[in-house]
Amino acid sequence: MVMIGKSVARKDAWEKVTGQAKYTGDSQEGDMLYVEKVISPYGHALIKKIDLSRARQLAGVKAVITGGNLPLTGEEIRDRYPIAYKRVRYHGEVVALVVADTPKRARQAADTIHITYAPLPVINTPRQALDPKAPLIHEDLGQYKKISKVYPEQGTNIANRTKIRKGNMLKGWSESDVVVEESYSLRPSDHAAMETRCALASIRADGKVFITSSSQAPFMIKRLISEYFGIDIGDVIVTTPLVGGGYGGKASVQLELLAYIASRASGGRLVKVQNTREEDMLTSPCHIGLDATIKLGCSQKGKLKAVKILYLWDGGAYSDKAVSLSRAGAVDCTGPYQIENVSCDSLCMYTNHPYASPYRGYSHSEVLFAFERTMDSLANKLGMDPLELRRMNAILPGHTTPTQVLLNSSSVGNLPACIHRLKKLMEWEKGQRIDLGNFKVKAKGISCVWKTSTIDTNASSGVILIFNPDGSVNLVSGVIEIGTGSKTILAQIVSERLKINLEKVKVQMKVNTQSTPEHWKTVASRGTFMAGRAALQAADDAISQLKHLASCVLRAPVEDFEIGGERVFLRDDPSKGLSYKELAYGYTYPNGNAIGGQIIGRGHYVLRHLTPLNPETGAGKPGPEWTVGAQGVEVELDTREYTYRITKSISVIDAGKVMNPKMAEGQITGAMSMGLAFGGRETFYFDDLGRVMNPQLRTYRPLRYGENPEYVCEFIETPQKDSPYGLRGLGEHGLLGMPAALGNSLSLAAGVHLNELPLLPELIWRKRKGADEGDLL
Amino acid sequence: MISFDFEYYRPKSIKEATDLYQNLASRGGKPIYYSGGTEIITLGRLNRVYTDAVIDIKSIPETQTWGFHNNELITGSALPLSIFNEKNYFPLLAETAREIADYTSRIKITIGGNICGQIFYREGILPFLLTDSDVLIAGSKGVKRKPLKEVFDQKLMLEREEFLVQLATKKIYMEMPFLSVKKRQQWKTGYPLLTVASLKKDGFLRFAFSGVCPFPFRSEQMETVLNSRTQPYEERALASFDYLPQPILNDIEGSNEYRLFVLKNTIVDFLKKFEGDENK
Repeated sequence: MVMIGKSVARKDAWEKVTGQAKYTGDSQEGDMLYVEKVISPYGHALIKKIDLSRARQLAGVKAVITGGNLPLTGEEIRDRYPIAYKRVRYHGEVVALVVADTPKRARQAADTIHITYAPLPVINTPRQALDPKAPLIHEDLGQYKKISKVYPEQGTNIANRTKIRKGNMLKGWSESDVVVEESYSLRPSDHAAMETRCALASIRADGKVFITSSSQAPFMIKRLISEYFGIDIGDVIVTTPLVGGGYGGKASVQLELLAYIASRASGGRLVKVQNTREEDMLTSPCHIGLDATIKLGCSQKGKLKAVKILYLWDGGAYSDKAVSLSRAGAVDCTGPYQIENVSCDSLCMYTNHPYASPYRGYSHSEVLFAFERTMDSLANKLGMDPLELRRMNAILPGHTTPTQVLLNSSSVGNLPACIHRLKKLMEWEKGQRIDLGNFKVKAKGISCVWKTSTIDTNASSGVILIFNPDGSVNLVSGVIEIGTGSKTILAQIVSERLKINLEKVKVQMKVNTQSTPEHWKTVASRGTFMAGRAALQAADDAISQLKHLASCVLRAPVEDFEIGGERVFLRDDPSKGLSYKELAYGYTYPNGNAIGGQIIGRGHYVLRHLTPLNPETGAGKPGPEWTVGAQGVEVELDTREYTYRITKSISVIDAGKVMNPKMAEGQITGAMSMGLAFGGRETFYFDDLGRVMNPQLRTYRPLRYGENPEYVCEFIETPQKDSPYGLRGLGEHGLLGMPAALGNSLSLAAGVHLNELPLLPELIWRKRKGADEGDLL
Repeated sequence: MISFDFEYYRPKSIKEATDLYQNLASRGGKPIYYSGGTEIITLGRLNRVYTDAVIDIKSIPETQTWGFHNNELITGSALPLSIFNEKNYFPLLAETAREIADYTSRIKITIGGNICGQIFYREGILPFLLTDSDVLIAGSKGVKRKPLKEVFDQKLMLEREEFLVQLATKKIYMEMPFLSVKKRQQWKTGYPLLTVASLKKDGFLRFAFSGVCPFPFRSEQMETVLNSRTQPYEERALASFDYLPQPILNDIEGSNEYRLFVLKNTIVDFLKKFEGDENK
């Protein structure tokens, strides 16, 4: 292989490093109108009165829009008005829009809108939401329109319940000699992508709706705007240029609806809705929170026997993607271990928090924090090496997952190999907790990870390859370039298959839903697999067309042709052949006659054999494969002050096949950094009114350069047999075990159970203080 | 985006600036003095600062002074924080200023803005509180010179039309032993959980604090206790807490109890560094 496994530079590198790259918010047009939002200052309140009189009179104001007469929206349960009506359920919820001819006039008018609220009791945690006496956030839950695979419970705050029932719990507990039970909690937080969300919309006289959006899901925007507003789906045309980081946060459809509504209210004119940083954190959907309780049992020798799990997701005020997140958390609820007897209830709870969107890892880092902390507690109680406990229970081909999928050597990676390598890299034999003297302790914590995608069972991806007259080829795919470099991997695949220079594969970065074949959503680490398969098929289709044309021109059977060096030639006599250039636009004979036409290769791929989960047992096949890995964190804790430094962070991931080593390393390292920030610092703080106290980057602080540890990133390669060149998804996996590994290292260093995120020195101090006073542990 | 309109003025002299202020205010305007602008811009876009005219004082030569005159170090109020490390005449100030915000911001944030702004940490004042500095304040009646101690109570007590021009610090203080430490909620970035600065003059330790309360302060009562040589360090630290102003900050950066825990450790560390290990 020439191109596969090579660290080629990204196709979007030059425009990005020179600053030429254009994002949605960069768009400025003369006739554009600007939309500013009025957002709720409360977590839960009735809207008593809205005074728009001053706003409407201001110069330049084209429209002022409030709730009412808008459809309910939501991907699985239609429970959310795009603009709040009569009641707000979270801090930051949109209450009114102002459309004006300049951003400033829109803001000025928005600032004059006076709203009278009557605050309501606030639900600030999912455990509180579960209390039968808790106020209801959606009294009409049972009446909302929904898809068939979601199970809201009327009269409660439960938006969805996923049940996993595998094996026989009675048997499991009877075989368990050692049992631990612990609870965990982590609040919602943010994605903090560099680019804040932005959407443009216009409606043409013929009814066509044009949307431009910083989105991971333009095809979902097309579908949902069509459904919500009754527009022919082909009349909704969505464009997405480069996206400045998504991390799942841009997979939800929100601002696009506001842009459409604002354009509709302004005679269809082009409008722009752009989030401020504060709105991006408050108003747009956030990273989900979790409360969990896990009871885990094993035999005297450490063989896992039974687990009972309760996951209570803090889905926020509206269910949108949170119900799916709660389902994904159930699917991989046990971590990558073989357990015969599993009972899990994963509940998506309504709270008065900003609602949730996907977040890199799609519930897995949250679940793994709880589960992998429990694994360490169990190892501790058993008096067993935590790495050994994981090794002996590692999921293997022949085992079944919590949803009873029987795994084989293609559908699951090699976890024992990852653990083995991690053990070496962490110098495990030198000890897990080392006293460095002078109030300093070094400690090592680990976490194993796994993840499958839980996307729609019929999610598909398409690729078109359009030849240029010089024999080069344009690669058109619906994958969004969100910064992961997926489109460069696709170019490598096409280059490899067509045997053409990478420089001759021209990648169209922008996606337009009218001319780009659909890629379901750029989520779930599925870009290179699904679009990769489609790209291979498109390349094969183009090769077949090239060979047929050559066969005609050279009067030889198609089967006798091969490709190489950007030519189609006869296998037995390579001197007889035609270049791609001679065939790309059909073949022209010396006398001017021509046959054929532009070569256009097409390919598509749909995930196969996926099924929804059984509502009673959870049995079903949610995704095609499980990427696995083992991760570790080394910390130095000051045992007097409880401050700490993360010195090293290590990932060993079974990537199937590393397509582009530098880019793969970049993905894993970036994800580790994000996971450490989420584990160690990032969180929303709420007050009693449900208000987020830190919706700014000065008080909400992702990891800054210089705070990072040394990163170590290695790969195991166990091919997934039905994927392009054996690759497995890895866009999210570097993040998954970081909070857990950090929690495990610090719990060991401090000698207390640290079961909350973020792992701040103050938390360690509080737990340590409790332990010293004997009221904890 | 700042949604309100405001005028911009850039006077060249102190008198021009104060006259401007008076004129604008007498017309019913709400002028404010402007130096680095970081706070006016970032809070202005949230409507937490409002003005209809900014008077940029950076072109007034006196506000740019940085150097020694007559055995005094003169610190112009419009100097950016970054300069204190580039031309390090006042090591305690350099050390404290270095921990404020990030470098990109420190190029813009001025010492006067840090001291007179809304964001209550105002760490830039600590070195001046410890060194018996004077302040030069411009107002309608010209420039007055006052001991900082007399005009600083939680913040610099300025009349509306007044602005800080310079701080004057005796040169002898530049040579004295000092410590300055900023502790944060986590790792290396963020507002202070607390900042403690200390200076040793004639064998006596002085202490000034930021982030402990919602204002910076120096406490002579605490200093008396912290200098009681007969007591062990930790006891001294805890005893000094009796004289802490109230309230102790209790916010998203840290609880009041945790702040006191960190404060105790920080003070004990300072005492160790100044006076040596207790066990010796």
